[in-house]
Amino acid sequence: MSSHREAPEISKDPVADNADTYAFVSPDKPDTVTIITNYVPLQLPPGGPNFFEFGDDVLYSIHIDNDGDALPEISYQFRFQTTLRDPNTFLYNTGPISSLSDPNWNKRQFFTVTRVEGKKSKVLGAGLECPPCNIGPRSTPHYPALGAAAVHTLGSGEVVFAGQRNDPFFVDLGSIFDLGDLRPFQNLHLIPTAAAPGVDATKTLNIHTIAIQIPIRELTSNHTVPRDVMSPKSVLGIWGAASRRKMRVVDTANDERAESGPWVQVSRLGNPLFNEVLVPLGRKDRWNASQPVHDRDYAGGVSHPELGKLLPVLYPKVFPNLAALKAPRADLEAILLTGLPAGIVKGFQNNTGKVLADMLRLNVAVPPSAKPNPLGLIGGDAAGFPNGRRLADDVVTIELRAIAGVTYPLVDKTYTPDKAAGLITQGLTPSPDRYQSSFPYVGDPYDGYDTPSK
Amino acid sequence: MSNSTRRSFLRPSLVTRDRVALAGGAPAAAATPALNRRAFLQSSAGAAAGAAVIVTGPKLAAAALHGASATAPAPVITTPSGPPPAETVMAYLRNAERGEVTVMSGTRETTYLDPALAKRMLDAAR
Repeated sequence: MSSHREAPEISKDPVADNADTYAFVSPDKPDTVTIITNYVPLQLPPGGPNFFEFGDDVLYSIHIDNDGDALPEISYQFRFQTTLRDPNTFLYNTGPISSLSDPNWNKRQFFTVTRVEGKKSKVLGAGLECPPCNIGPRSTPHYPALGAAAVHTLGSGEVVFAGQRNDPFFVDLGSIFDLGDLRPFQNLHLIPTAAAPGVDATKTLNIHTIAIQIPIRELTSNHTVPRDVMSPKSVLGIWGAASRRKMRVVDTANDERAESGPWVQVSRLGNPLFNEVLVPLGRKDRWNASQPVHDRDYAGGVSHPELGKLLPVLYPKVFPNLAALKAPRADLEAILLTGLPAGIVKGFQNNTGKVLADMLRLNVAVPPSAKPNPLGLIGGDAAGFPNGRRLADDVVTIELRAIAGVTYPLVDKTYTPDKAAGLITQGLTPSPDRYQSSFPYVGDPYDGYDTPSK
Repeated sequence: MSNSTRRSFLRPSLVTRDRVALAGGAPAAAATPALNRRAFLQSSAGAAAGAAVIVTGPKLAAAALHGASATAPAPVITTPSGPPPAETVMAYLRNAERGEVTVMSGTRETTYLDPALAKRMLDAAR
């Protein structure tokens, strides 16, 4: 979760594993959108001597659909290059790293950002420095400054960052995959134990973040900053993806590694948990390689979610109304595959038309919330998931509640959700220091010396 | 609750889901690409030929060998029509039965019908 190790193949290729995608109107710069895609999930901070990094052989992409066809009109591409100052040492760094150009830092990564629009492609920035991984008080004694120095403002107006961060996604991983257990309600589970607080499994784990802040006028089809929430032109479809070259040869006899052929997508992520929970094991790898525009093929898992059938089994007598609900889940289709049309939630829509596609749908005319509610739209906060996704949105709780039937009255007012459906929670509240108030918004990574030793 | 009951409590739901998928006409999981049928040939840019490594199913290989043997021309070295590509060129036998060979250079990919080359690749693999 959200898509950390969500499919068999990509779970074995973490540098290309798009674990989460976030998109929100920047709270401190509301004429911009911030998009964040995370890779290399579940990093233990003491990951040396070869600390975590992006893949030089991976094409990382952020796609934006601004006309509702579920195809990218605009893409931002990120490529990485790793360099060694001294190949004759096994050390990542030979002394404290005090700046991004510190000669003590041996193994560094740089990246290139390219904007692709139609057939036009423009390199916006090259040779951009990533920060080092957070090693410890001797190697990276002033880490926040290193992270801040790796925020690059491009001449074209975008701001970018790529490097290690604390994983912003909070989830009780150990519980949820133990047969759908939710610790606060596990006394009601088919295999009961005493109720307990949730455990934030990713609290001190790191991840690699690609973050970009883009002027809204550079993303909308009419190059304006929309103010009308009900206008279709206010809605952007957004997803992240990673691709590898089609062919790779490892020729140890000639000490040669070579790659060739077109880029082949191996991972993608729009809505959190889509592939993780709604696509069956036998189809997950194929889903990762497919495009959102073809997601009609996977709509069955949304309209008849397996988890919706399991909840009444796992929590006997808790979800009788859900157990009796046999109709296709048009509410989930709207939330995840088309966006909510006008008339469902008063004063809000993020509909992109009839094409069924898994994308984050962000209505950029909705201003940032002064007091964000982690439950997003179902908590009365239209600036949060499923209107895009903010870092602190509790998407696990939101989606569990939705699957449990809380959102079904949106399409059938005669349906009464089970009382428990509106109470479901994973029981987690991330600490505020997990996030930053300005770009890239994701908190500094935990260092390997202190974590998990403290 | 007995252990057997606990272990099997998900079964009814899983069966139901399978039936829904079948009744709804959702396409079954397509087979993953038959990578074991594919072969690849790597040559450095500009080289006349490179080392070949071929992985193909015995039945397909046999069909290709027998099918192409009657018409396969002898290998001919032709004059290059242009300078060698800057990037590594790789090729693989995409479909031995049909004689499809896919050649990659940079991010380009072109599939040719060349039963004679397919046969020579399979010959090299024996």
